[in-house]
Amino acid sequence: MKRNCTRSSMLVTVVLLLSLSLFAQGAKEATGPTTIELWYGAAITEAGPPPSDWVGFGIIKEKLGIELKLTALPSNESDQDVKIQAAAAANNLPDLFMVRRDVLGRLVPQGLIAPVDDLYAKMPVRTAAHYDDVSKGHARIGGKSYGLADPGSIMKNEGLLIRKDWLDNLGLTIPKTTDELLVMMRAFTFNDPDKNGRNDTWGYGAFQEINNFEAWPGRRLEPLFGAFGVDGTWSLEEANAGLNVMKPEFYDAMVFLKQVADEGIIDPNWLSYKKDDFRAAWKQGRFGIMREQNAAFGAQSNYAPFDKNFPEGNWVIIDPPKGPKGKASIGPYTANFRIYAISAKAAKEGKTDKIVALMEWMASDEGYYLLGWGVEGVNYTKDANGIPVAANLPNANLAFSAPGGQTVTQLRNMVFYNGDIELYARYPKYVTETSKKEMSALAVLREMQTKDWTAQIGSDTLPIPNADLKRFYEQGLSEFITGKRVLTPANWTKWLDEFKRLGGQDWNDKGVAFARENNLLT
Amino acid sequence: MVMKQQNKQSRYRRVGTTSVAIKPGKSDHVFNLVVDLFLIVLLVIIAVPLWSTITLSFRPNDYIGNNLQGMFLAPWEWSFSAYKALLGNQGFLLAFKNSFLILTGGVVTALLLTIPLAYVLSIPTLPGRKYLSLLVVIPYVFNVGMIPTYLLVTNIGLIDHLAAIFLPGAISTYNCLIMRSFFEGLPSELKESARIDGASEIQVLVRIILPLSKAIIMTIGLFYGVSFWNDFFHAMLYLNSNHLQPLPILLRNILMASGMNEYVEVSAFGDAPIAAIKAASVFMSAIPMIIAYPFIQKYFTKGTLLGSVKG
Amino acid sequence: MSQVPGKKRGSQLARDIRRHRSVYLLLLFPLTYYIIFKYIPIFNGQIAFKEYMALDGVLGSQWVGLKHFKTFTNSYYFIELLRNTLMYSVGKLLFSLPLAIILSITIYECNKPTLRKMVQTLAYLPHFLSWVIMYGILLALLAPGDGIINDIIKLFGGKPLDFLTNTNAFPWIVIFSDAWKEMGWGAIIFIAALMGIDPSLFEAALVEGASSWQRVRYITLPSIRPVIIIVVLLRLGTILDAGFNQIFMLYSTPVLSVADIIDTWVYRQGLLEFQFGLATAVGLFKGFIGMFLILGSNRLVRRFGGNPLF
Repeated sequence: MKRNCTRSSMLVTVVLLLSLSLFAQGAKEATGPTTIELWYGAAITEAGPPPSDWVGFGIIKEKLGIELKLTALPSNESDQDVKIQAAAAANNLPDLFMVRRDVLGRLVPQGLIAPVDDLYAKMPVRTAAHYDDVSKGHARIGGKSYGLADPGSIMKNEGLLIRKDWLDNLGLTIPKTTDELLVMMRAFTFNDPDKNGRNDTWGYGAFQEINNFEAWPGRRLEPLFGAFGVDGTWSLEEANAGLNVMKPEFYDAMVFLKQVADEGIIDPNWLSYKKDDFRAAWKQGRFGIMREQNAAFGAQSNYAPFDKNFPEGNWVIIDPPKGPKGKASIGPYTANFRIYAISAKAAKEGKTDKIVALMEWMASDEGYYLLGWGVEGVNYTKDANGIPVAANLPNANLAFSAPGGQTVTQLRNMVFYNGDIELYARYPKYVTETSKKEMSALAVLREMQTKDWTAQIGSDTLPIPNADLKRFYEQGLSEFITGKRVLTPANWTKWLDEFKRLGGQDWNDKGVAFARENNLLT
Repeated sequence: MVMKQQNKQSRYRRVGTTSVAIKPGKSDHVFNLVVDLFLIVLLVIIAVPLWSTITLSFRPNDYIGNNLQGMFLAPWEWSFSAYKALLGNQGFLLAFKNSFLILTGGVVTALLLTIPLAYVLSIPTLPGRKYLSLLVVIPYVFNVGMIPTYLLVTNIGLIDHLAAIFLPGAISTYNCLIMRSFFEGLPSELKESARIDGASEIQVLVRIILPLSKAIIMTIGLFYGVSFWNDFFHAMLYLNSNHLQPLPILLRNILMASGMNEYVEVSAFGDAPIAAIKAASVFMSAIPMIIAYPFIQKYFTKGTLLGSVKG
Repeated sequence: MSQVPGKKRGSQLARDIRRHRSVYLLLLFPLTYYIIFKYIPIFNGQIAFKEYMALDGVLGSQWVGLKHFKTFTNSYYFIELLRNTLMYSVGKLLFSLPLAIILSITIYECNKPTLRKMVQTLAYLPHFLSWVIMYGILLALLAPGDGIINDIIKLFGGKPLDFLTNTNAFPWIVIFSDAWKEMGWGAIIFIAALMGIDPSLFEAALVEGASSWQRVRYITLPSIRPVIIIVVLLRLGTILDAGFNQIFMLYSTPVLSVADIIDTWVYRQGLLEFQFGLATAVGLFKGFIGMFLILGSNRLVRRFGGNPLF
């Protein structure tokens, strides 16, 4: 009996150990080249990582003496934050990693990040193309710069769009003021603008897209609040600096939005929609006015479903409507960056120079084209103007824009700086399949940038409120719109006082002080 | 109702005596009708999300129609692009392999750890059983959260190993205690007679308990398998190497693409709408269940237990 | 468990231990596992009382007493968070669990094999629909603009309702949609339990002329009672977990007053803002409440003759 016991327990041990060892792939120690662990933000999340035989690894090893170890960050921002913060808590950050500004601000006081102020001079080519005073200031915390802020998405890349074909059907002209906008939204809702005989359209379409500098009701409704001069979380005008919600014009804007909601001329699903629902909705012709991003609207694969559904459909970019005091704005804009930070651990291990060499190489012609488009003749060819195109390739599936080739351009956000070559390559001209219109997301972008915007460079670095205050803010405003709170001047004042008491005043004062300190006021 | 019984282990006998006291009744037809009606209503209710998910997964990109058509009726134009996008993804096979390793490694480890513990906890005469139970319940109730466990996983060097996905969850207190309650329900006479014959507890477990508990072991194994198969969060947290990423990560990367990649000129999944891909990925997450459940159902037949006891 | 007279106790214990020698062998791995994977994290949980600094580690960080607990209990929304959390977890316990039990019994009692098979094969599937998908379905049904339910309301001349953004309707949607999705999955364990019933009991009942209702009441239900008790006890232990994934997907700003639960608050306040001490403190807070409930209800179970947890 005893022997039996021992035997079965040994069996259990062996199986357990086996199952463990099966999964324990030991890390190999590299003796020659320096290992640099890089957590990157994938350029195309749905395509896989660079293959293990990617030519870049060899070049980087040979030329720079770096063994590059890649990890794709999760595909969603809050997942990225969680992963990075967990690694930070265990003091296990990688050598070089992409990180959002908010998270960086929490890691720096923990002493986990190395300052980068001295590094700009060591990589002159990259600094010339990628960094200026604004970008250096973007990651500056307590007087030191803690991250290399590379150019992110292009400024002012959104616009207010209107269904011109609906206007024509109803014999209306493009609205110039909020009053005309109201008239037109009513017509779009009640007068069957698509002539399909059904009452299934609305004037405005939106969803709640909220971030640090575009607080509730968020980005999609900024053009309405811009008409009252209170677009964005903050006002950064010297004379008028502070939280917009505390300004009397904000109340007027709320009254306007309330009217729009009560009349039912905004798609009533706007409070329930998520981003994908909203984007599916305009492609199905549910509403006639919206604020949308240039590529989400105009890039080939995004526009195609709309084109097929509505060959006669025609969105045009319009000026933001003027409010009662003549103000107008698409919304606030700021400079967007992708920050790459170096961990204090890596700096301590003496890896900084290698990292600098890597970053500088990426900005060289070799690195730029290799990471941006792949290998010439395999993944891309250059056209007459020297712009990389996906044409005349021996294997079309390996083109930088095809599934087979996308994996080798996953690091391209580390080399791109929104130069003209990139934009032409990213947003090529095309002819739509059904209506045979000539389109280009780049042309859309250029037109969007000419409209009125509110300059708020750096507004995304201002202090953020704690979770309770943030909730009080968002919940309160939305309750005024849904009618759970009655929107009267008295109620508004009462709510605002409570907001200030809860920490709103403090948030306001801190924000203004921060903006003044960092020269963000205009 | 006779609920108090001297012999605590003999639930069977207890229920048996109870049934003797029942007076005859004649409402069986009504009963059957109510049962059938309930199941039919339930089928309809369940069919709504299932059918709408299926039609959604075949929906072409440019689909328009009113909500009713969108939800219940098959689109007049079917499209397999969502499935193509998922199955045709270059990383699919690798991710599937990783998930499969996590699943098998996880279920084997979990069962090897859970069964002995559940069995020991089910021995009524075990000294200190109460405290042992408490020891098992405390970590279940006091969930200290992500970071304390993350620190442990880092310290024992499990970061970037597939085992990190299933080891921290290899004993689920919930599953363990459910299993214990099944072991407790087995006729105690069998265990007692084996013990009197001089069998060790290990022998009792292997020779008597396990053959009688196939249904519950498979059920609990299934619970473990499904949770490991679909574990996105720990994979996201603990795995760094690109070649170790399992299926939930791949699915998430595809699903999130529309949110992250709006600046991109082309879409890697061609003409599949994001909603269709979301719907199609549901069936990926149910794969182990769809494969394993029919086998388990074989054990879900009335009176399996008694047959084996008598045999 | 063994109730023995006091004077015999010592020798009985020794005998019990001797008798169960091989048990300790069985326990070797599970207990080692518990110590490493469950109790070391609990030890690390001391960061609930510390200002955790990554470079100082768990032991090196400064003690701050109950600071994090106070941050939580002093939250402007504390009472409301507690109320909402309890509303959802108790609501689900009272609604989804009985439904799962009824479902398992009806499957067991159904005498039409085709129907039974169909339900048994399909009922668990909604569990695999993620909340993202479920939200899409709820939106299609309930959206104020063109949801199917509102289309029907409009057909009868009613005014469309804003189910998803209405504070009165939202809690019901949460509880119903949870039952919808999880009922079949929850029934699996009870079906497994039902399969262990001795068929001769039913034969005896048949001989006695018991009606089907009586059979359910006096044979079927009592024989799955131990499993039901365990499930209820364990769910009471995590009473302050109200289903983060579901709420996080379904809620929107207008319904925060009835939708925000402890876990969503921690997510926004703690996890996303490097406040790990706070997140851990809230976990411990939830644990204390759960432990209290589990011990209390375990007592009740013992008193009324069920199989207790301890």
